[in-house]
Amino acid sequence: MQDLNTPANPLETLAYIIAQQIHDHSIVYIGTGIPMVAGILAKKTHAPNITIVYESGGQDPIQGDMPWSVGCPFTWRKSPTVMEMSYSFAQCYNGYVDIGFLGFAQVDMYGNVNTHMIGKDFHKPKVRMTGSGGNNDLSSLTENMVLVGLQTPDKFPEKVDFITSVGHLTGGNSRQEAGLLGNGPTAVISPWGVYDFHPVSKRMRVKSLTPGVTFELVQQLTGFEILKPDGEIPQTQLITPEALKILRTEVDPRGVFTTMPTA
Amino acid sequence: MAKYVYNQEAVENLKLSDTAILDRLIDFESARAAHLHKEHGKKDKRMSIKEAIATFVQDGDIITDGGFSYVRTPHQAFHEIIRQGKKGLQMIGAPNTNQSFQIVYGTVGYSHNSYVGVEMRGIDKSYDRMLKAGRVKIISEWSHGGVALGFKAAQLGTPGVFSKQMLGSDIIRYNPYLKVMQNPLKDEPDPVVFIPALYPDVSIIHCHVADKYGNAYIYGPAVNDLAVAAAARKLIITAEEIVPESDIRYNRQGQIIPFFYADAVVEMPFGAVPGNMPGCYYWSRQWWEKLIRYGGVSDEQMKQVLDEWILGTKDQFEFVDKLGGSKWISEARRQTKAAEGDNEDIDFSYEEYTLKHDSGLYY
Repeated sequence: MQDLNTPANPLETLAYIIAQQIHDHSIVYIGTGIPMVAGILAKKTHAPNITIVYESGGQDPIQGDMPWSVGCPFTWRKSPTVMEMSYSFAQCYNGYVDIGFLGFAQVDMYGNVNTHMIGKDFHKPKVRMTGSGGNNDLSSLTENMVLVGLQTPDKFPEKVDFITSVGHLTGGNSRQEAGLLGNGPTAVISPWGVYDFHPVSKRMRVKSLTPGVTFELVQQLTGFEILKPDGEIPQTQLITPEALKILRTEVDPRGVFTTMPTA
Repeated sequence: MAKYVYNQEAVENLKLSDTAILDRLIDFESARAAHLHKEHGKKDKRMSIKEAIATFVQDGDIITDGGFSYVRTPHQAFHEIIRQGKKGLQMIGAPNTNQSFQIVYGTVGYSHNSYVGVEMRGIDKSYDRMLKAGRVKIISEWSHGGVALGFKAAQLGTPGVFSKQMLGSDIIRYNPYLKVMQNPLKDEPDPVVFIPALYPDVSIIHCHVADKYGNAYIYGPAVNDLAVAAAARKLIITAEEIVPESDIRYNRQGQIIPFFYADAVVEMPFGAVPGNMPGCYYWSRQWWEKLIRYGGVSDEQMKQVLDEWILGTKDQFEFVDKLGGSKWISEARRQTKAAEGDNEDIDFSYEEYTLKHDSGLYY
């Protein structure tokens, strides 16, 4: 059981901000990690009637422990049905999924995602990463995507080293012209800020900032010119004491995804 | 000389000198011929895993990763492939995480890559090293949904399907099998991706029960295995338990692989160890943590762990003994039931394996 008196750490903050993107009564497609925490937190706070679906095909599981794999029993615990993988992604294509959450290793100014490799040479990358998994499928097919990850200039480059998943491609209408479905990424969430995309150019724009974080700071943490919204930049709503208590006692009591890594 | 007109940009990007290596995965005619020449009679196909692997897995075959990474994957059959020293296999699956351990032994040399990683623990450092060292070559890049649709197309009995996945991404620029086309029924531009039906050479599917003919029942996520069973030229069913045909007929409605797909039926209790078998046993988290953390440090350490557990055991029973024997079995059974909501909730906290702390316990 976690200490209830310490202030929220950046991962808990992140989980709460992601949870705020989820509307009640929606169908939510969730990938591994912090999005799992956020989805369950949303269900236990402001959105009790959401249906969570996973790539394993698990639909609307009864909550158990934190899933350790998208195939593990906690993603299909007493599910009324467990779909085959091809049908699971078809839910996004056919318009049954409202919002999806994905992680990234890199995201660029148009919300394109890389989970393949760091470096320019496919045959000799600096680091080979996992490849797509379901990342591309969700990004290509889901109505609204929210991207979640850490923010440094390397993780927010002007161009990703490999386009695993198309966001807004090269801006403007290029996503639609490429033939993809849905609105593409509607939000990017890092511990420092929440970003959206300019409605015409589709370039990444600051939507709100974590209290204490300035526009200048997030610009320094970004490898491209990030757009500033008109007027004063709102502060991101931080996790409330009630939500933090629920997160630590009911959602992720062992801190599987919400404990800060130690050296 | 290749049989097909591949996506040339991808062939060049992947630096494939001879595209003939790509052919068999989509060679429908030879897959259909293989299915026609299978034993269609209802015959007893039981044999040992040694015999099944020796008979049905040939060097250079395209094999599949099954289940979902750590869930209902035929790990113990994969170990037998390593013990028999097969060479130059291609591996495909969604995910295909478990190819990584085969590459250590050179059994797998080619990857149809969709996802190789350890989910909540991040990237697979061992795979990263071996790929850069040229010990495995990626011959196509996929999304999970792309692979799933390719297998499903084969099961549906169609040359391929059109999809909206992967459009505009670099995956298409690194996949010789994919081509972007115009939706023929639309006037305005409407790009779609053609995904061909995929026919692996050999699949091993671990099931809960099977009869001696190969009717096999799966409980929990089937993932891609029902499609793969229909597509594969050769199918090895491994099962926790062999049961009479009447048990399948009367008690096992749901996810069934029909007997006529199967070439071999192997009774293999604990065939998914050290992974999770829905309804039967939980995965050994500590075992995987040790493999990923200790083995992640260097090629030598990865091989050391795998040598100890794969070459150092002759079958799954010795493997289970090493995990803790009957104590492991009872813990793993209790945990998987709790994980599925079938008994009182238990505390899932455990002693993590770290480089600084090894409890020596695997449950």
